[in-house]
Amino acid sequence: MSKSYAVLPCNGLDKCAGCITKEVAINLTKESDSKIICPVLYRVADARYNKIAGENPVVVLDGCATRCASKLAIEKGIKISKKINITDEAKANNIVIGSGLVVGENELKLADIVTNELLKEEEQKKDVESVIFPESLEYEIYKKDKFVFRLPKGDFYFNENDCWVYVIGNKARIGVTDYVQKSLSDIMFFNEPALSSDIEQFEDAGSIESGKAVYEIICPVSGTITAINDKLLEAPELINKNPYEEGWIAEIELSDFESDKELLYTFDTYFDILKRKVDEFHV
Amino acid sequence: MSESTFMGVPREKIDWSPRIDYDKCNYCMDCVEFCPHNVYEINEDSEQKLTVKNPNNCVVFCRACGKTCGLDAIEFPNKPETTKHIKKIRKEAASNE
Repeated sequence: MSKSYAVLPCNGLDKCAGCITKEVAINLTKESDSKIICPVLYRVADARYNKIAGENPVVVLDGCATRCASKLAIEKGIKISKKINITDEAKANNIVIGSGLVVGENELKLADIVTNELLKEEEQKKDVESVIFPESLEYEIYKKDKFVFRLPKGDFYFNENDCWVYVIGNKARIGVTDYVQKSLSDIMFFNEPALSSDIEQFEDAGSIESGKAVYEIICPVSGTITAINDKLLEAPELINKNPYEEGWIAEIELSDFESDKELLYTFDTYFDILKRKVDEFHV
Repeated sequence: MSESTFMGVPREKIDWSPRIDYDKCNYCMDCVEFCPHNVYEINEDSEQKLTVKNPNNCVVFCRACGKTCGLDAIEFPNKPETTKHIKKIRKEAASNE
C-alpha cells in the first residue's frame, strides 16, 4: 500500500502552476487513500478538515513562491510534513509551464511526476553522524530590548550570512545563528539538503521557513553532506529553541577548509557583526 | 567593520543584486515590502514601476526576496562565480599590501 496524505493544494486558479496543484491533489486521491483539504473551505470552516489533517501527514502543494497553501497551513497551525512548489518542480524537470490556465499535456506530465515522487517509498537514509560535538557550550550574550542573542564561544566559525560551522579534522557540523531564528520567528518547516550531495561554499544547504519568509541556509563550507539533523523534519522549532545545539542543520565532510576559512569569521569579528545587525534592524 | 565591505572586500566590487525580469513582473511589490535593506525603489510614474536602486545594499548571497516572488521574476548572479571573484579580489588586495 502506498503512502497517503492529507493534501492541501493552493488551487490557485489564475495561474497555471496553481491549477497543476489541483491535478496533483486529484492524482493522489486516485492512487492512494489521500484526502484533499480544499483551501477555500478550509479557510472559512476548518473544523471539517481538522481530523484528516491530524490523522495523516500533511503535504502542502504551492504553485508558486507566494506560498498561499503554506501560509494557510501555518495560519491554521497544522504540522507540514512535506512541501512541493510546482514552479520549482517544473524547473527541476525541465518542463515549461504554459502561460494559459488550461492544463495541457506538459502540465499533466509534471503532475504525474510530482505524484509519483510523493508516493514513492523513501529509501532508507544512511546518515552517519560523526562530528564529536561538545556536550555543553559557553555563550556570549547580546541583549536588545526583550530579545537575547546567544553566540557560542569555542571552535566555531561564522559567515557574514549568519550561519556557523564547527570543525573537527575534515568533518564539520553547520547551523544558523540566533540572528536567523529570531528574525524568522517561529520556524514551521525545514527543507533538508540532499544527503551525499556535494556543496560549494555559500551554496544553499536546504532552507527553513516561517510565516514571514523562506531563508536559504548559506553553507559556510564546501564538501559532501554526510548527515542531516532528522529531528528537524518533525520538529523544526528546535532551531528556535537552540540553533547551535539540538537545532543544528547538517554534517559535512570538508573538501577544502583551508580555502573556505579565508571567507569565514571567528567569534570576535562575527560577534561585532551580530551586534551591529541587531542594532540596525528591528527583529 | 564598515558596512560597505563584505568579507573585507569593498561592497561595490562585488556584483550581487537582484535582476528583475520585466516580462514577468506584475509590480505586486512583495519583494519591496520584504527587503529591509532599501534595495528596491518604486516609481509609480515611470514605465518600470520597480527598479533596483541600491544594488550594493543587497546582502551578498541573500536571495530571500526572490523567494517571495510568485512570478519567479527575480534572478541573482551565480554563487560559485561570485565566491571565486571575492577570493580573487582578496588575494589581489593582500599582494598589494
